[in-house]
Amino acid sequence: MFETSVEHALDNLTLNDGMSVSFHHHLRNGDGIINTVLEKLYARNIQGMHLFISAIFPSYTSIIDGIKNGHIHSITTNYMNGPVAQYIYEHGLKGSLTMQTHGGRARAIKEGESLIDIAFVAAPTVDMAGNASGAIGKSACGSLGYVMEDVAHAKTVVCITDTLVETIDDPQIDGRDVDMVVHVDSIGDPRGIVSGTLSITKDPIGLKIARDAKRFLLQSGMIQDGVSFQSGAGGISLAITKEFVNILNDKNLTASFFTGGITAYHVEALEKGLVRDLYDVQCFDAAAIESIGKNAHHRAISADMYANPLNDARHIKDLDIVILGAAEIDCDFNVNVTTDMHHKIIGGSGGHSDTAEDSKLAIIVSPLFKGRMPLIKKKVTTITTPGEHVDVLITERGIAINPRRRDLIERFKDSHLPVMSIEMLLEKAHDLSGEPRAITPPEKTLGTVESRHGKPLATLFRKG
Amino acid sequence: MAKTITVGSLESSDCMITLKEGTGNVHIESVVAAAFYDHIETLVRRVLKTHEVRNVDLTLEDRGALDYAIEARLIAAIKRYKGDDNG
Amino acid sequence: MARSFLFIPGNVPRMLQNMDVFEADAVIIDFEDSVSASEKEDARLLTERFLTFHEVSVDVYIRINADKALMKADLNAIDSLPITGIVLPKASPDTLNVFEYLNEYKPCHVIALIETPDAFFKFEEIATHTCVKGLFLGGVDLMHALGGTMSKETLSYPRSHVLMAARAHGLYAIDTPWTTSDDDALARDAAYAASLGFDAKAAIHPNQVHPINQAFMPSVKRIEEAKRIVAMHEKHGSMRFSLDGQMIDKPVIDHAKALLEKVHTYQSGGENDV
Repeated sequence: MFETSVEHALDNLTLNDGMSVSFHHHLRNGDGIINTVLEKLYARNIQGMHLFISAIFPSYTSIIDGIKNGHIHSITTNYMNGPVAQYIYEHGLKGSLTMQTHGGRARAIKEGESLIDIAFVAAPTVDMAGNASGAIGKSACGSLGYVMEDVAHAKTVVCITDTLVETIDDPQIDGRDVDMVVHVDSIGDPRGIVSGTLSITKDPIGLKIARDAKRFLLQSGMIQDGVSFQSGAGGISLAITKEFVNILNDKNLTASFFTGGITAYHVEALEKGLVRDLYDVQCFDAAAIESIGKNAHHRAISADMYANPLNDARHIKDLDIVILGAAEIDCDFNVNVTTDMHHKIIGGSGGHSDTAEDSKLAIIVSPLFKGRMPLIKKKVTTITTPGEHVDVLITERGIAINPRRRDLIERFKDSHLPVMSIEMLLEKAHDLSGEPRAITPPEKTLGTVESRHGKPLATLFRKG
Repeated sequence: MAKTITVGSLESSDCMITLKEGTGNVHIESVVAAAFYDHIETLVRRVLKTHEVRNVDLTLEDRGALDYAIEARLIAAIKRYKGDDNG
Repeated sequence: MARSFLFIPGNVPRMLQNMDVFEADAVIIDFEDSVSASEKEDARLLTERFLTFHEVSVDVYIRINADKALMKADLNAIDSLPITGIVLPKASPDTLNVFEYLNEYKPCHVIALIETPDAFFKFEEIATHTCVKGLFLGGVDLMHALGGTMSKETLSYPRSHVLMAARAHGLYAIDTPWTTSDDDALARDAAYAASLGFDAKAAIHPNQVHPINQAFMPSVKRIEEAKRIVAMHEKHGSMRFSLDGQMIDKPVIDHAKALLEKVHTYQSGGENDV
């Protein structure tokens, strides 16, 4: 069960054409095993694989060779950008591309919709019983949340590690689910695993949005003792997280939990006693990695326990407030975080759709313009998150509340905040930028965006 | 009349315009070409016509400037080209 | 009763078109020191085109040039624009007269920028000039002219004198901009200027605006007190009464009303948040 090289491991595995292989993205751009394993599979002439990877980062360039040379037939993922996304936009895939959500991926694995032949798991530390943890080791990444369902359900599980220890006290992966452990020199580059310290935005427009978001939250009445909260790792989201934590401090309140991606700002709140628990599905910075290893109230959770819509015990079922971004939004409040206006993939849902649906208050924060291009469209290029789950849009020039939320509209009717209809905000945008010409989609289809429930939401297109 | 005049910058939301002696060619490069090319070209030609600018080649490098900024930069360039800006 | 005046260079489109996003109560579009000689005409055209085609929700001032030829072109460019007033740099009786003349003696609203040692000997003439509605301390240029460095101590006399002159003549008083990027120091400096009695402070970066607004906003305690004073006055209809052992008379009542007016105008929402 213990191998000393990837080659030896592959020698001892059953490798078939058309097999489904899975990887996780927790080592981000510092990942050292995805390219290695894929290249070795190509060298063994495995054809037509289904690549089932939680996200594709710019450094996973061997995927391009795999597509070019027939080794990779189709891909299912939750997020992608960079050269791989560019290649797929220009050349397509033999099979199709399916974009899922983090919760939807867990659902699909558990329900047997997505079958995995081999899960290749980059595991920062493994012990002699095959247990694994992401919190410790020279290539520590924190939580291994996105791979836990793969490990539980894949036919074969291969853990690849660079740090072998005697025993792990608090493993994230159970050794009984692991079929093979491969011990290599290095599974990744720490400098690429974490991007240093993420910091709040300094952009004056971003800070204005954060101030209005703070004011909105204060007036919403939702900040009570026991409130739960989630935000992304973008500069504006972090600014709002900081404001939110300051409010808890000023009002002597304690939040019940924060979920999602964890950063130094979330950890600081935990250590100051302003929040009781962190449910961590992904560590974004070094402070988060350090905290998960030493603080019992900072727990790694699986994507299933995070956001699987069929799991009644999922944490986001109790989520009060989520702060999310958008590349585009339309007058029905549908949000696109998957493609740019030319249909090229620039991201993906990740946990966007999951948290928007489950949370009590889903707030989109974004500048009203990217250069001359307005954020608000008549119709988004691609639907990632349906408008019925999106409650509020906060931009630097105005706040729009989804008409479905009559309670919020009533609550804010006398507010001094610049609340207006989304049509009004679109008009304001056009007063400045002019109305952009509508872009016709390219003719060739590429695949589908799936909702967290597995239903098709939007079609993906390719240029070439 | 001057030979070549350049105004503006390549900062976000700005544009750089070059005017030189020529035959009336208008060359536009814009980061928002897909959405606004026709609109920008119409604007540029209108301003050139209003200011009776002839025998000039124009190059516009746009970084998402709004109409008012394109127009202002263009008028500044025209004035400088004709030699009657007040500096 | 603006609390913050944000400087915006007139030749930077990105700043012009976002001028009313940063929550400054007033904006000073600069045609002077932050715009190079070769771009002055661009600044005029960008400002004129922008304000002609777009409405903004802030009070707009233009800092014109002191040089006569440049000032003439500046005033021509802004002639029909919906601006509140102009900021006159290196204010002196002479520059004020030149402005008045070039402005064709039309009604005017001038904020005199006090930034030369000479101005300190001409306060009477400057402050009583028909156009002047406010005095603005230009600490950076002033300290440069004195040969010193800007600090709370070195600004002490200039600040008191500008404030005294403004109050003696019913003008409003704007404190000097803060030039380092230390946010905490800016907030402290703004609070100090507010405690001296200044009405507002200038900002040279959008991120300075919010701390300045907060510093020049009355405290919760003072708002509560003002509410009580006005309520008492309205209930009893009297102009002179005692509240918490303090004698309340007309100036105090007027001040309380003006304070509540200011709070109402600049309230952004959210409990005690501004």
